[in-house]
Order: sequence, then C-alpha cells, then structure tokens
Amino acid sequence: MTAETRTDLTEDQRDALQEIANIGMGQAGSLIGKIWGEFVNLSIPRIAHLDRQSIPAALTRLVGDHSVNAVRQAFHGSIRGEVVVVFSGGRDDELRELMGYEEADSVEEQELLLDVANILVGACLGGIAETLKAEIGFSAPSVMGLDISPALLIRPDELNSGRALFLEVRFTLEKKSLASHLVVLMPEDEFFVLGQALDTFLASI
Amino acid sequence: MAVSVLVVDDSPIARKMLIRALPSDWDIEISQATNGIEALVAYRAGKVDVMFLDLTMPDMDGYQVLETLRKEDLNCLVIVVSADIQEKAQERVQNLGAIAFIRKPITAEGLAEVLKKYGIVV
Amino acid sequence: MTMPVAPPTELLAFTVDRIEVGVFAVDRDFRIVLWNRFMATHSKRSVADVVGRNLFECFPELQQKWLERKINSVFVLKNYAFTSWEQRPFLFRFHHNRPITGGVDAMRQNCTLLPLKNASGEVELVCFTLADFTDTAMYQGCLNDAIVELEQEKSAQQILIKKLEDAQGQLLQSEKMASVGQLAAGVAHEINNPIGFINSNLGSLKTNVEDLLAVIAAYERADTVLAGHPDLLGAIKMAKTAADLDFLQSDMQSLISESLEGVHRVKKIVENLKDFSRIDNAEWHYANLESGLESTLNIVWNELKYKTEVKKEYAGLPEIECIGSQLNQVFMNLMINAAHAIAERGVITLRTGFDESSVWVEVEDTGSGIKPEHLKRIFEPFFTTKPVGKGTGLGLSLAYGIVQRHHGALDVKSKPGEGSVFRVTLPRKRVIEDVGGGVGP
Ligand SMILES: Nc1ncnc2c1ncn2[C@@H]1O[C@H](COP(=O)(O)OP(=O)(O)O)[C@@H](O)[C@H]1O
Ligand SMILES: [Mg+2]
Repeated sequence: MTAETRTDLTEDQRDALQEIANIGMGQAGSLIGKIWGEFVNLSIPRIAHLDRQSIPAALTRLVGDHSVNAVRQAFHGSIRGEVVVVFSGGRDDELRELMGYEEADSVEEQELLLDVANILVGACLGGIAETLKAEIGFSAPSVMGLDISPALLIRPDELNSGRALFLEVRFTLEKKSLASHLVVLMPEDEFFVLGQALDTFLASI
Repeated sequence: MAVSVLVVDDSPIARKMLIRALPSDWDIEISQATNGIEALVAYRAGKVDVMFLDLTMPDMDGYQVLETLRKEDLNCLVIVVSADIQEKAQERVQNLGAIAFIRKPITAEGLAEVLKKYGIVV
Repeated sequence: MTMPVAPPTELLAFTVDRIEVGVFAVDRDFRIVLWNRFMATHSKRSVADVVGRNLFECFPELQQKWLERKINSVFVLKNYAFTSWEQRPFLFRFHHNRPITGGVDAMRQNCTLLPLKNASGEVELVCFTLADFTDTAMYQGCLNDAIVELEQEKSAQQILIKKLEDAQGQLLQSEKMASVGQLAAGVAHEINNPIGFINSNLGSLKTNVEDLLAVIAAYERADTVLAGHPDLLGAIKMAKTAADLDFLQSDMQSLISESLEGVHRVKKIVENLKDFSRIDNAEWHYANLESGLESTLNIVWNELKYKTEVKKEYAGLPEIECIGSQLNQVFMNLMINAAHAIAERGVITLRTGFDESSVWVEVEDTGSGIKPEHLKRIFEPFFTTKPVGKGTGLGLSLAYGIVQRHHGALDVKSKPGEGSVFRVTLPRKRVIEDVGGGVGP
C-alpha cells in the first residue's frame, strides 16, 4: 500500500460524502418512519478524519458523557467498514412497542437493540451505497456494551487502523425518548476506494 | 426580465447539483445562501422570485424560514429541496406555504417537471 | 442488491435443497414459497405440506406479531435482518444434533432474513437461512461456566491474598517490635552495669564528701588557735575566699543528690524498657495492666509531654492472664495515635475498669476524631491518613490482632472534632481455643 492511497479525503470529497450521507439518512428516515409510523428527526451528518487515539474522546463528545448501550455491525463489499450505533434514552417499553414485541414477551433488551440498530444501519448505509452505486452486504449486529461510558466503547489499542473516517448522524423519534447516534467508521485503507467512488459521483453532477 | 432565484442549502455540493439541474433556457439570476438566516437577509435585501430551500441546515433550518416568511407575510415561491422525504415532512412544508417538494438527489428531469407543473416555466 | 428471481439452475436448486442449513422463503402474505430439506427434516413437515400455505398457520408456535414486523421490515427496507441464538435461542423448536449427548433443550439457531428483489428492485420474497448453532452455544455455555468458576476462584484467591497481606503486615510489625524489644533489652542490660557502679560510687562519694566537709568544719574550729599566726590565717582565708567554700559546700551536696536522682531515673527507664519488651516473658502470665500502662507511658513520654496532659483514672485492676509485652504494644499504639491526633494541646485519659470476668482499658483523647467514612477502615492493615514517614497504617491492625488473640475486643468511639476513645476489653482468664468448634459469642 503506497502512502498515496492512504491520504484523507479532499474537502470536495468530504462535502460530497456529507450530502450523500444526508440523502441516505433521509431515505432511512422515511423508511423507518414508514415501518414505525413515527416522525424521525435527523441531524446534519458530521464527518471527520480521526487518529485512533482521539476516537474515544470524539465519541464521548458526540453522545454525551453518560452511560449508553451500543451495537456494532460491519458492512462489506466495494466499500467496507463498521457502524457503531449508540443508544441513549429510549425506554424499554417504547422499543418493545416499535418492534412489535408482545407485552408478555420476556425477550431481552439486547435483542431489541440489535433489531433497532440493524434497521438504522441497513437503511442509512443502504442509502449511501445506492447513491455511490456501491454493492454492500451486512454482517449480523452484535452487542458492544451495555450501560457503559461511551469512552470505553472503542479502545484505541484494539483498532486495526491508525486513522479512521468518522461519520456521525443522529436519529431521534419525535414522540419517543429514543435517541441514537450512528457512527460509521471506515479504515484508512478504504479512503482511496471511497475517494474514487466520490469522485465518480462528483463527476456525474 | 430575468427571474431571481435564491438557492439555500448548507452543502456546497447540493447547491451545485441544484444549479446544474436548472433548465438552461430559463432566464434567471442566481444567488446563494448557506443557511436560513442568510436566506432571509438575501430576501429582505432584494427581490427573490423563486427560493429553493433545504430543510436540515445549521443555525436556522428550512421550517423556520418558512414560518418567518409566512408570519411576515412575505411572498415568493418556495420549493423545498430535501433529503428528508418523510411524508410528514412534505405535509408540514406544504402547510407552511411551500408550493412544491423535491426529493434529493435532484435531477434535471424531476426539477423541470415540477417547474412546469406549477407554471413557473412554460 | 438486485437478485433476479429467475429459476435457479438445477445445481443451485440441488444445493439449496441439500445444504445443511435451513432455507425457506415467504412472500408478502407470509406464504411459504420455498422449503428445503433441512427444514423439512427438522420440522417433520414436507414441502407438499407447507408450500403455498401461510407460515403462521403452519407453525402457530412462532411469535407472529414480532416475526411479521421483522419480515415486513425486510420488505420495506430492502435490507437484511438477523436473529441470534444468544438473544433468541431459536425460531423453530427443532431437535438438535446431540440426541445422545444432549445438553440443551432445542437446536440453537442463527437466522438471516434476505431480501430477494425482482428486476425492478422491489422485494418480492424474504428468504430465511437458519443455521444450527447448538455446538457453539454448548461451548459458550461451558466457557461461561468456566469463567464463572474462574471468577469464583479469583475472588477466593483475592481474599486469600488479602489475608496473607494482613498476616504479613502483622508479622512485619511484630518483628519490628520484637527487634526493638531485643535492642532495648540489650541496651538496658549494657546500661545497667555502669549505672550500677555509678550509683554506688555516687553513694560513696556522697558520704565521702560529707566526711570531708565534717573534717573541714572541725578544722575551722581551730581558727582561734591560729590567731597567733596571722600569715597562716591570711593564707587560709584567701584560699577559702578563692574557692568560695560556703557555696562549694552547699553546691557539692546538691550536685551529688541531683546526680543520684538522675541515675535513679535512668535506672527506672531501663527497668521500664525491660518490662516493656519482656523478651524474657512473651508467655502467658499474670500481669497488672496498670503497671503495664505506666511503663508504656514512660516509654512514649517524649511523644506526649509537650502537648498533652495525661490523666489517669485507674480502677485498681486485678492481675489478668495475658501476654503482657504484647498488650503493652497495644497500649503504646493507642497512646501514640492519641498523641498524633492532638494538634496543639489536649488531654489523654487512661482509664481502667473491671467486673468478675473481664477488665478494660480506655485510651481517650481530645484530638481530631475520626471521619465516619474512615471508621470502618482504621483496623485495616496499611490504612493510614498520616503522611509518609509518620504513619505505617499497621498500628491498629496489629493491636486488633493482639487483642483478638486474647479473645478480647477492641472498640472505638469517635466524634470528628471532639476526640476518640479506644477501649480494650480482655477476659480475666485465658480462653483456651476450642479446636474445631466455633468460639461462642
Ligand atoms: N486516636 C485517634 N484519633 C484520630 N484518628 C485515629 C486515632 N487512632 C487511629 N486513627 C486513624 O486510624 C488510622 C490508622 O491508625 P494506625 O493503624 O495506628 O496507623 P498509623 O497510625 O500508622 O496511621 C490513622 O492513620 C488515623 O487516621
Ligand atoms: Mg498508629
């Protein structure tokens, strides 16, 4: 891998990615709104290149310094990376209702989180991939941590990549207390491919 | 006389995409704003006939712009261009006085269709 | 992802049918349109039996509302969905592949729901794959058990380590005390001899001086006789004046008696040291705790004298069976702590009392007191609030250990800002440990 392939995205590419994420999010919001029958408030996507050391602090800054639940899910294909979905707020019964669990279901909260995360990730990343004309698939989601500090979710020494692209969006449901942050992390050896896809997109407009 | 068009979006790419998609034979003067506050400043400073308005923006979002326009009884044709394509969002902006809603990503064909439908461009 | 639902080739169809993974698909009305052999074998429902029928009709045991939403989300979102055995052990209750070895009640399953899109990109079918995760679940179960066991062992070990540390702390301290004691005994022995002869020499010196002075007095009576020898008388007078004989006479006596007193004090300290260390007597014996308090007080007097007034309220304790030198260490620690707690000036009260079966000794101070949150920790080894060099945090834990070995109790009452009382309660007679049975309250 040459140094050139690892350079950060240019400002134009970042702008484009932000707009594409915005579009992807919008599609996700509308789909989620449809299946949950709820109006979804969406934030403006934020994008940054981060050294791995600064990822825990960035996560804490974004989601706030209180304990959270988090789920991770990988996507792979012509672009690949991982998505961390961080949940704050959201009472169990609200989630249960959204996902159609019966009252008597003594299903674990964990499964609820996995389901909700899967829907958010699928809808949002699906939208981005579609705009970028990228083919992607998803791994099954898994629980990263329950009731822990956001700073402890990702430990820098466990990361494979020295630098990562960090894309964050926030979903809130208008009538429910659920809030979730969706953080897409892409390793630096993916920057090049992503940059190319973004250039193709830029050339098409 | 040329029609004055204001494009309001925080994303430079989105503004660029929109401007590219405008009909080439349309006699217009284009100005741009990156958030709601700038949009209102531009509006009050001069004539705006048609406003293309994004919804999610920092500082002042599209909903707030629409509310202000309506409260101050300002009139111009507002076409919302948004990635937030939830039906409720479309309903809300139309209730706030937007004449049309165009979903992102914008295409020249889609835009032309809307402009024709509302008789802005014949 | 667009995957045309074109008729699969024979090979594909064969693979899907025979693969050791459950594969089935449903349409928007939840009608089963594909059912592979794995599903048929495990559900004991043939293709003919289920294909074309509603999934929930065929399998009423499925959680309909939840699964319907899940399937619908795949139709709407055009995206994968998953279930995992860890959260939801199984979708269908199937027998697992361990009919003999067993271990769990039913096959553990991981499912993936795939959107199958038609040419126009709409999801036409949702395809399930269902993988048998029983083995993984079993291993995980074993692992979890092992982890629980390890955790238990770990905490047991931690308790053990803590105990060892405690014991080591006590050992350290008692070793320190023992060597101090030995040193003291050695020093005491060495000092004893010279002090002995200094004492007796001083005694002789005293009588000698008295004799000498008597002789001089006798001579003075000859002054009248010497009147005829004015030169001699003058010389004597001059010598008397030069030596200031009157002063010499009184001073010499007081010098000697002061020296004697000093020597007595040294002798007493040496005795106290011997008493305190009692290297010769680390055994159980009958001892008077009040005299133990006294000799300990003498040892620590230097620490106390500048800022404290020591009050004694002794009840006249009877002798008790104990290891006196160890109890002296307890008293010493309590007194030093009391002195440390007093910043400027204060009072330390040594108080005793007894009844038929027990005696008690209190060391009370008017010092800083102990914060409530520290109160339950002060007996821990190494717990100290004092700066390095001043505190080791071992004093009270050592004291506690000693009192416990005497089957006594060490209690504390304290009010921050007002002071503390430590009370040592001891049985009058040694309690012989009842091996095997617990010691009753
Ligand atoms: N009489 C007292 N008054 C106030 N605090 C005391 C007293 N005796 C003990 N303590 C507290 O208990 C702690 C532990 O005492 P100790 O085990 O003797 O260790 P050390 O004296 O070396 O600190 C002390 O640091 C002090 O905080
Ligand atoms: Mg101490």
